Amino acid sequence: MPPAAALQDDAFDHDAALQACARGDPQALRSIYERETRYLLGVALRIVRDRATAEDVLHDAFVSIWERASSFDASRGTGRGWIYSIVRHAALNRVRNSARETVLDEPATAHMDAQAAFAAWQESGDELARQAALGRLGHCLDGLEPARRACLLHAYVDGCTHSEIAERVQAPLGTVKVWIQRALRALRECMQ
Amino acid sequence: MSGETQQSLPPDDLHTQAGEYVLGTLNANQRRSIESRLTYEPALRAAVDEWEQRLLPLTSLAEPIEPAAGLWQRIVASIAQPKATQVTAAKIHWWQWDSLSLWRGLTGTGFAAAAVLSAVLVAREAPPPAAPRYFVVLAAPQSQSPGWLVQAQTEGRLRLVPLGTDNVPAEKSLQFWTKGDGWSAPVSLGLVKPGEAIEVPVDKLPPLQPNQLFELTLEPYGGSPIGRPTGPIQFIGRAVKI
Repeated sequence: MPPAAALQDDAFDHDAALQACARGDPQALRSIYERETRYLLGVALRIVRDRATAEDVLHDAFVSIWERASSFDASRGTGRGWIYSIVRHAALNRVRNSARETVLDEPATAHMDAQAAFAAWQESGDELARQAALGRLGHCLDGLEPARRACLLHAYVDGCTHSEIAERVQAPLGTVKVWIQRALRALRECMQ
Repeated sequence: MSGETQQSLPPDDLHTQAGEYVLGTLNANQRRSIESRLTYEPALRAAVDEWEQRLLPLTSLAEPIEPAAGLWQRIVASIAQPKATQVTAAKIHWWQWDSLSLWRGLTGTGFAAAAVLSAVLVAREAPPPAAPRYFVVLAAPQSQSPGWLVQAQTEGRLRLVPLGTDNVPAEKSLQFWTKGDGWSAPVSLGLVKPGEAIEVPVDKLPPLQPNQLFELTLEPYGGSPIGRPTGPIQFIGRAVKI
């Protein structure tokens, strides 16, 4: 599945919508919901891997967005990024607090994973769309060793723990931890 | 102290830690630890902000999913709820109050009486620990009469002691909160039953600071649905070092 390039359409002003939420305008929250829920739900579902839980996460995240809109600070990052961060961390806290690791090992989901999505993205020939979707990050990920890149993608997109990643990339846990730290350093350097 | 070791970490490790937090590989305890540090470590917060922006494009690798029809209604019901129970002045949250006359008022008679009482309670307690000790008198915002006492004598634990019995409506709960300087929002310390002392572990929180705010609010039964105070303040006070 190629990345949704439409996401990068800048017509919607997330910062202004958040500022309106901070003033107590529920229409602004509705506009964010209409604009972003399908994508946010997709992000949450990949992490929590259960439809009902993902919707609970979205519910809680939208209540947080409403309540915390006044703390959004545009000098620290984009409004869109702020919204996605709230959803991702709500999803991550949900799965980490419930210690999912023991239950989860569905081989089916392991195949429909982030690495596959990235590979499909790499193979899609449309360079312009690729640039639009992942930009500099895509270029820097391309430059990582495939196993290390896979670790980052399993973590960020699939919400995997270190041990889940170790299982997916078939490498020892300690090795995976080191790979991730090195990949983060390399990525940060590349993107500076 | 842990704050010192964290500050002496090479900047690279700070960025790696922040990166792992944003990636999501940390366990629940590590995540809570980072989240509590974010409020008072600007360098860590900046590093996390950078990673959030850096990795954001990867969210486009998740396939969009249509939400169930009722999701928006659930959200609306939840954001409407706090407004219905809000009795205090709208839009001004207590943690945003900046030493208003309230705090000057608290140094009045009620405060003094409770201070004496707390000294008595402290004297009755076990051997004096080495860590700095604090107490907080929680007083009613209007009458300023003291209602509860917070004692921090054992490291990592707080004790909340009632000075009387409050009336809490059956469909409501009293919820206990705290907020230190520089925290972005209050943290819940749990629910409280009128007239009953409780002990709260606070070892996951940053160390208690002088002047740290404590608060009891009236919340929907079972506690605030959003993790932030939504109802009227019943008692409020700031930590004083003994």
